[in-house]
Amino acid sequence: MRGRRSLASAALATAIALTATGAAVAQEPITIGYSIARTGIYAAAAPSQENPYKLWQKQVNAAGGLELPDGEQRPVEFVSYDDQSNPANTVRIYEKLITQDEVDLLAAPWGTPMHLALAPVLQRFKMPMVGNTAASVQLRNVAPGYIWFPTSAIPDAMGAELAKMMQAEGVKSAALLANELPYSQEFRSFLIPALEEAGIEVMVDESYPPDIKDMTSMLVEVRDAAPDAVVAMTYPSDAFLFAGQAKELGIEASFVMSLIGPTIDAYRKANGSAVNGMVSSAHWSPEAEDWPRGQAFFDAYVEEFGEEPDALDSALAYMSLEILQQAVAEAGLEPEALRDEIASGTFDTINGEVRFEGVQNVVTPTGFVQIQDGKIELVWPESVATADFAPKQGW
Amino acid sequence: MDTLLSGQLLFAALVSGSLYALVALGLNLVYGTLRLLNIAHGDLVMIGAYTAFWMISLFAIPPILSLFIAAALCALLGWAVYAGLFRRMLAKPELAKRVEANSLILFYGISVILQNLAALAFTSTSRGYQYLDTVITWQGISMTGNRLLSLGVAASVCFGALLFLRFHLFGWGLRAVIQRREAAQVVGVNLNRVQLLTICGGFAVAGVAGVLVSMTEQITPFMGFPFTIVAFVVIIIGGLGNIGAGVLAGFCLGLVETYGIALTSPGYRSILIYGLFVGVLLVRPEGIFTKAVRS
Repeated sequence: MRGRRSLASAALATAIALTATGAAVAQEPITIGYSIARTGIYAAAAPSQENPYKLWQKQVNAAGGLELPDGEQRPVEFVSYDDQSNPANTVRIYEKLITQDEVDLLAAPWGTPMHLALAPVLQRFKMPMVGNTAASVQLRNVAPGYIWFPTSAIPDAMGAELAKMMQAEGVKSAALLANELPYSQEFRSFLIPALEEAGIEVMVDESYPPDIKDMTSMLVEVRDAAPDAVVAMTYPSDAFLFAGQAKELGIEASFVMSLIGPTIDAYRKANGSAVNGMVSSAHWSPEAEDWPRGQAFFDAYVEEFGEEPDALDSALAYMSLEILQQAVAEAGLEPEALRDEIASGTFDTINGEVRFEGVQNVVTPTGFVQIQDGKIELVWPESVATADFAPKQGW
Repeated sequence: MDTLLSGQLLFAALVSGSLYALVALGLNLVYGTLRLLNIAHGDLVMIGAYTAFWMISLFAIPPILSLFIAAALCALLGWAVYAGLFRRMLAKPELAKRVEANSLILFYGISVILQNLAALAFTSTSRGYQYLDTVITWQGISMTGNRLLSLGVAASVCFGALLFLRFHLFGWGLRAVIQRREAAQVVGVNLNRVQLLTICGGFAVAGVAGVLVSMTEQITPFMGFPFTIVAFVVIIIGGLGNIGAGVLAGFCLGLVETYGIALTSPGYRSILIYGLFVGVLLVRPEGIFTKAVRS
């Protein structure tokens, strides 16, 4: 009697266990780990990256989950931590994500220093990661392996392209104002020789600290020099200051650029029509007909977050997950197979086709955008332009 | 040279200076009266900035009215901090002795909490809005409406506060508490009332500064810290707890910064500001204007 009962309970237990396992297999999510700057100096910039992550996750899960090579779909779950804007924390967090949390995939943190700090960690653990919001010539020195950079906004290429664009628009003289932070200075160091080569005279060349609170004296100098172009190599906070004070002083140049800032939604809300005609750095526009999914991404983002995506960081963040998604569908979750697929595949993104050679995207051209009637239009290079460059008409 | 003598540069210096003076005024009131080192002062500026942003975005209430709302909101916060944290501590002599050091840590905690609450509630996405950005030209000086308003409000609040302290009975009581705390009590100053109203006033002034800043800068949960630093620099240059000197020092810092940059280069900004700061600490650690104002 006892034997029969125990046999019955064993059978029941097995049945329960089997059901539980079956359910678990169907439900088990694919985990994607990342760290991001939720606090600290980069915190204000990070939502432009994390919002697209959340949008992508929502869209993928709504469509049934992330697809694997056998056609199976599993929901996506994020495991994320705050790196407090500190690259040393980024390294520790990714080590934890890989070794303790045992995530299936990795997404990128915000910013160049974080990406550079991570490259050796990825190499050591042989975990692939598609980067996004990193841009520096130093990226070119990262050993190819487990990290890739979809951006084409790398300062050396940008310097050369901007000089070409300015020459094409008939610019003969320029004033340069550069934030002392690394990206601006790197860009400046490549822009100056490129301008010289293009025969464009540099009339003013000033650098200023990131915590600057007033640009009046610099901009009076620019106004008095009356150059054809003003290139302000800004970060977001001083981009607001530059726009406000250039307007106050009535800078009359027909070509005005602000490096980082104008593609942020709040910038256009704060400055309104005054910044129509402002040129900035980005290689994506939702207006491009050749990239039909771009507009869909733009609309979904606006609906979800009530503001426009940043044409640079948000587009890159979304692209990096599109690349990951397509690579997983081809190669699955096994890190080596996934690595080979990312390294050799061609991907269809909101910014068009992407293919990597070494660590770099070799397809997307380095471009510049311009605010036209409050919209971000790609105006350079001509091959992908969504609108013609329009000289800035006052503020 | 023409630039140096132009009104344009003077306008810029006054706009910066008045804002520095205003931010420092609130910090100085709280330090002078309660001996509290309010590291979260800049975060009150942030709260003022968000108040202005949400008021104009959600209810179309212009910043000129938000000045009052932000002041009230920050004053309320001041009341909560005083009633909840410091009243008892300041009442007990053995705790009051350590309050200066303890307040630094407490306010650091409050600062972190305020920043993270703002990040949770509003996300850390930067915000901005457009207000009074028409450029007015007068005597060859171009002035954006919002900067002119900022100068007007900041200068009025600073000088209004100074007049109040000089001529109103409550102001006398407040100055008495700053100068001789125990003696003030002996002659009948209601210490508790002075402390409460000062912390509310000091916080309110920071909220007002936040509204002014929000008209020209991007708004984020982490925008406050630089204002805390600048406020400390100003009140140390002026003399801790010396209200009038602090206001004067704020304007001086604006002038030194703007003209210093014009004479040298923008790269020297930090050297100029902190050079002045260290110089004052070396030569006159009690504050540069302390004696002049007392006499």
